[in-house]
Amino acid sequence: MQLRIERRMVPHVPWGLIICVLGVSLLGIWNLASASRPPLAPVWSSQALYLGLGVVAVLVVCLVDYRWIQRMAMPIYVANILALIALRFIGHTAKGAESWFVIGPFRLQPAEFMKIGVVLMLAKVYHDDFRPNEPSYGLVRLWKPVLVVGVPFVLVLVQPDLGTALMIGLSSLTVILFGKVRWYLVATLVAAILAGAIVIWNDYVRDVPEPRPTIVRHHLKKHQSQRISGWLDPEADLRGSGYHAAQSKIAVGSGGVSGKGWREGTQTGLRFLPEQHTDFIFSVWAEEHGFVLCTLLLVLYGAIFIFGLGVGFNARDRFGAFVAVGVVAMLFWQVFENIGMVIGLLPVTGITLPLMSYGGSSMMSVMLSIGLLVNISMRRHMF
Amino acid sequence: MTPPTLGNTTPGRELRRRFLWLGLAMTVLLGVLSIQLYRLQITRGEEYSAKSVANFVKEVRLRADRGVIKDARGTILVDSRPSFDAVVTPAFCTDCSEQVIPRLAELLQWDADQAKKVEDLVRQGRRNAPFQPVPVRVDLTRDEYDRLAARRDILDGVEVAPVPHRHYRTNTVLSHVLGYMNEITQEELERLNGDGSRYALGDYIGRRGLERYFEQRLRGRDGVRKEVVNARGQKIEELNVKLGDNAVVQPQAGSNVVLSIDMRLQEEAERAFPGVTGAVVAIDVHTGFIRALVSRPGFDPNLLTGRVTPTQMAQLSRDPLEPMVNRVAAEHYSPGSTFKVVTALAAFKSGAFRPETVVNCPGGYRLGARTWRCHLDRGHGPVNGLDAMKSSCDTWFYKVADTIGLDPIGEMGKSLGLGSPTGINVVAEVPGIMPTSAYHDKASPGGYTKGMALNSAIGQGDNNVTPLQLALMYAAIANGGTLYKPQMVQRLENLDGQVVQEFKPEVVRRVEIPPAHLKSVIEGLVKVAHEPGGTSYRSRLKGMRDLDVLVAAKTGTAQVARLGAIRLRTHQMSYFERDHAWFAGFAPADKPEIAVVVLNEHGGHGGVDAAPTAMAVIQKYLDLKKLDASAPPPRPNQPYTPSVLRAPSPDEAALTRGVKPPKLLPGDEEALEDTHATPD
Repeated sequence: MQLRIERRMVPHVPWGLIICVLGVSLLGIWNLASASRPPLAPVWSSQALYLGLGVVAVLVVCLVDYRWIQRMAMPIYVANILALIALRFIGHTAKGAESWFVIGPFRLQPAEFMKIGVVLMLAKVYHDDFRPNEPSYGLVRLWKPVLVVGVPFVLVLVQPDLGTALMIGLSSLTVILFGKVRWYLVATLVAAILAGAIVIWNDYVRDVPEPRPTIVRHHLKKHQSQRISGWLDPEADLRGSGYHAAQSKIAVGSGGVSGKGWREGTQTGLRFLPEQHTDFIFSVWAEEHGFVLCTLLLVLYGAIFIFGLGVGFNARDRFGAFVAVGVVAMLFWQVFENIGMVIGLLPVTGITLPLMSYGGSSMMSVMLSIGLLVNISMRRHMF
Repeated sequence: MTPPTLGNTTPGRELRRRFLWLGLAMTVLLGVLSIQLYRLQITRGEEYSAKSVANFVKEVRLRADRGVIKDARGTILVDSRPSFDAVVTPAFCTDCSEQVIPRLAELLQWDADQAKKVEDLVRQGRRNAPFQPVPVRVDLTRDEYDRLAARRDILDGVEVAPVPHRHYRTNTVLSHVLGYMNEITQEELERLNGDGSRYALGDYIGRRGLERYFEQRLRGRDGVRKEVVNARGQKIEELNVKLGDNAVVQPQAGSNVVLSIDMRLQEEAERAFPGVTGAVVAIDVHTGFIRALVSRPGFDPNLLTGRVTPTQMAQLSRDPLEPMVNRVAAEHYSPGSTFKVVTALAAFKSGAFRPETVVNCPGGYRLGARTWRCHLDRGHGPVNGLDAMKSSCDTWFYKVADTIGLDPIGEMGKSLGLGSPTGINVVAEVPGIMPTSAYHDKASPGGYTKGMALNSAIGQGDNNVTPLQLALMYAAIANGGTLYKPQMVQRLENLDGQVVQEFKPEVVRRVEIPPAHLKSVIEGLVKVAHEPGGTSYRSRLKGMRDLDVLVAAKTGTAQVARLGAIRLRTHQMSYFERDHAWFAGFAPADKPEIAVVVLNEHGGHGGVDAAPTAMAVIQKYLDLKKLDASAPPPRPNQPYTPSVLRAPSPDEAALTRGVKPPKLLPGDEEALEDTHATPD
C-alpha cells in the first residue's frame, strides 16, 4: 500500500476535471445560499463544510494506490451490503423509508456509498474476467456482474428507495453495456424499452373513453399510478400528485432567458417549491439565473463527464477504465434524472443533483468518486 | 508491486471506441435536456412567468358597504350591523370531521343533518381552495360567540370573523317590500359574472322586493387589495413592493334607497289593521307614490337572511296563510262592491243611465229564469244612481249590466288599469282579470252570457283585482282621470346624502271621463261616508276626528264561497270560505290627496272590518300633514325603532271570530267564486 504522491504523478493530475468539479460545487453553494434564505436555516454554510470534507476525501483517496483499492473492492462491497442489511434493523425511518444511520449529529445514508461499492466490484469483476479471445458477454457469462448488481439493487429497493435503486441499476447497466454484450441482449433491451413505452402510452396517454383497457395500471398501487400520471400531465392535478412537477416547471419556465436574479426567485422565496434545497435545487437555479446560465451549468456537467471518460480512456488497466466508466455513468444518470425531473421530462423520483443539492452523504459519495477518477488519472503511467 | 495480470497489460485498445460512443451518447442526452430547457424558458417563458405571478399574488376583496334603505323622512329601516360568523379554514383544520366539527355541533347545537352538511362543505373546500375560509354559521348570537371564544383552543382552524350583517329594523313590517338576502347560487354566479358583475361564492344577494330590484345599486363596487402570499397562504408584507402602485383599489359604497313610505303612517296602518291576512295600501293621488303598505302575514327578513333552518323554511312555505305572498300586488281578489264605481262610470258613459235614473229594487233582479239577489233581501225600493252607490244596491247595477252588456264595463275597467300589470317592478305582481265578452268566449264553457255581465257589474264573477290596482283606480277617479304608475322609491342617494337618481311621477295614461260623470260618482262615494245609511258612515264618525273633511269611500264584501239556499253567518263558515272585507276611497273628496284601499282577507264585512282601518289611516295622514307643516323636519339617518304592536297571531284572531283557520289549505276553495254576491 502506497501512501504518497510521487513526482511523476503530478503532470497527470486532471486539472480540468478538478476545476469543473470545484466550479459546480461553488455555484452550488452560492445557489444554496439563495434557496435557504431566511427564514429557512442557512444550510449553505454546512454545505461549504461538506465540500471541505469532500476535498479532504479526494486527497485521501488520491494517496492510496488504486490497485490496493482493487484488492479491497470485495471487502468494501461486502461491508456495504452488511450495512444495508443492518439498516433493516437499526435504521432511522424518515419519509417512509429506512435509509439513514444516525451517528451523533450525522445522518449517514449507506445507499450513497453502496453505489461506489457496486461500481468498484463491477470493475473488479470485469478486470478479472477478461478473456480477449472470446466473443462478447452472453447471457450465461453475465451471471457474475448481474449478481454483483442484483443484491444491492434489491436491498435498496426494499428500503424502499426507488430512486437510488434506479441509479444503481442504470449506472451498472451502462457499465455492462460498455463491457459489450451479445447483440440479442441489446435487441431484448430495446424491445423492453419499446414495450414499456407502449404500455405507458396505452394506460395513460391514449385518449379512450372510460373504462380504458389497461395492461399494467390496475396492478399498480394508487400512489405509484399517480406518480406516472403526474409526470405525464402535472397540470391535471395541481394540488395533488402533480403539484411538485407543475410548480417546478413554473419555476423553471418563469426564469426566462436571464432569470429573476439571485435571491429574487418568487417560487423559491415564497416556498412554492417542495424540497427546494435538495431534490429540486435545479429549479432554483433555473428560476433565478435563466436559460443562459442553465446551459452553462449543463456544459460544466458535460465537461465533468467528458474529462471523466477521458480518465478512463487513458487508464492504465481495465479496472481503472471500468471504474471511470462506472463513476461517470453514476454521476451522469443522477444529473440526467434530476434535471429531467425538474424540467418535466421524467417522473419525480428522489434523486439529488450531484454537487448542487444539499446533503453530506451525497456530497461525500460524489467526492469519493471524483477522488477515484483523480487517482486513476494520476497513476496512468506508473508501471 | 504485484505482477501484472492479463487485464493490466492491455488497458483496452478495443475499449477506446466505446469511450467515444459513450461520450457521444451522454452529450446527446444533455442536449435533450437543454432542448427542453429552451422550450420551457424561452418558448413558453411568458406563460410560466404569468403563472408564477398568479401563484403568489392573492387578491383580497374589499367589500363595499351595502346601501341602506330609508323611509321618506330619512329614518333608516334597513342597514348593516356588525356581526360575527364562524368560519372554518380547511387547511388549518386538522382532524376536522373526527373532532372539530362534532365539537362545533355540540357548541352550536346542530342536529346531525346540519353537521353532515358542514362536514361536506369543509371537505369540498379542502379540495378546491384549502385557504379559503368556509362560513359554517353566520351571525352568531352573543351566547354562541362566547361559547366559541371560550373553546377556541380545542377548535383548530375555526375562527370567528367580523362580517356586516343585514339588519331589518322593521322586523315583519314591510317585509314583502324590503325583501331579504341569501347566498348566491352557482348558476346566478355564472350568469351575473358573465354580465360583468363581480360576485364570489358565498356572497349574499338580494331576494324579493327592494333588495332584489336595486341589488346592483345597493351593492356598490367592491375594491381589491393585492397581497403577496407564500405557498402556505401566509402574507409576506416585505414583498408587497413587488406589486407596484395599483395594489389597492378602494371599494365604492352602494347607493342608499329613500322610500316614499312614511313610517309614521305605516305604523298607524299596521296598528289599525285588525286582520290576520290582508293588505292596506295608501297612495298619493297626484303622483302614484305609495305612502303606506301593509301585507299580512309577513315574514321576518332577519330570519331569512342567513339564519333560517330548513325546518323553518319548510314551515314558511307550508303555512296555509302564505306569509311569503305580497297581498298588495302579487295576489288578486274579487273586488266586490268597490268595483261598482267602474260600472257606474260605464253606465253614465253609455248615455242610457244618468245619476237620477231610478231603478226599483224588490230585493233582486230577474233575468231569464233566474233571480240575481240583492244583498238586502227585503229590497231597497226605488233608488237612483247616487243612493244605489250609498246603500250599495245591487239591483241598480244589475239593471245597468243588463242594459249595456259586459263590454262597456270591461272597457272602462281596463282603461282604469284593471286586468293589466301596474308596472310597479319593485315587487312581483299579478295582472288580475277584467273580463269582457271576448274573455268569456275563450275562457268559460259555453261562452259569454248576460249573467256574467251581471256578476261582473258588482265585482264578482271572474273580476279579480289587486289592492294596488284598486288604489290606483280610485286615485285616478280622484285626480280627474290620470292613471299613475305606482312607485315607492323617491330617490337614490350616495353616502353623503347627495341625490344620485330622482324618481319622477310617471303617468300610464289619461282616461277621458267627462268631469260631470266623475263628479256624480264622487258625490255617491261621499254619501257612503257622510249620510246615515251609507256603509261607512258609522266607521267615519267613530274613526275620524276631522269630521269636516269629506271622505269619498266605498266598501265591499266579496263573496268567496258559493251562496247556499240560506245565508250563513260569518262564524258558521270555515275560515277560507269567509267573505273578503274591502274598503276603497280617498280624501279629502273635494281636494283629493290620498287614496286608501284596505282588504281584510276572509275578514267579514267591509263596513265593519275594513272601513275603520282606512278611516284611521286617513285621519293619521291629515294629522301628520298638519304636524309637518309646523314642526321642523327630523334629523335624517335615525335608526328606526319599532313602536307598533306586533300583528295578531292566527290564534288570537280566531278567538274573536270563532273558527280557527285550518292548518292545511283544502284544494277546492278557490273555484267557488261564482253567481252571487253579498254586497253591503
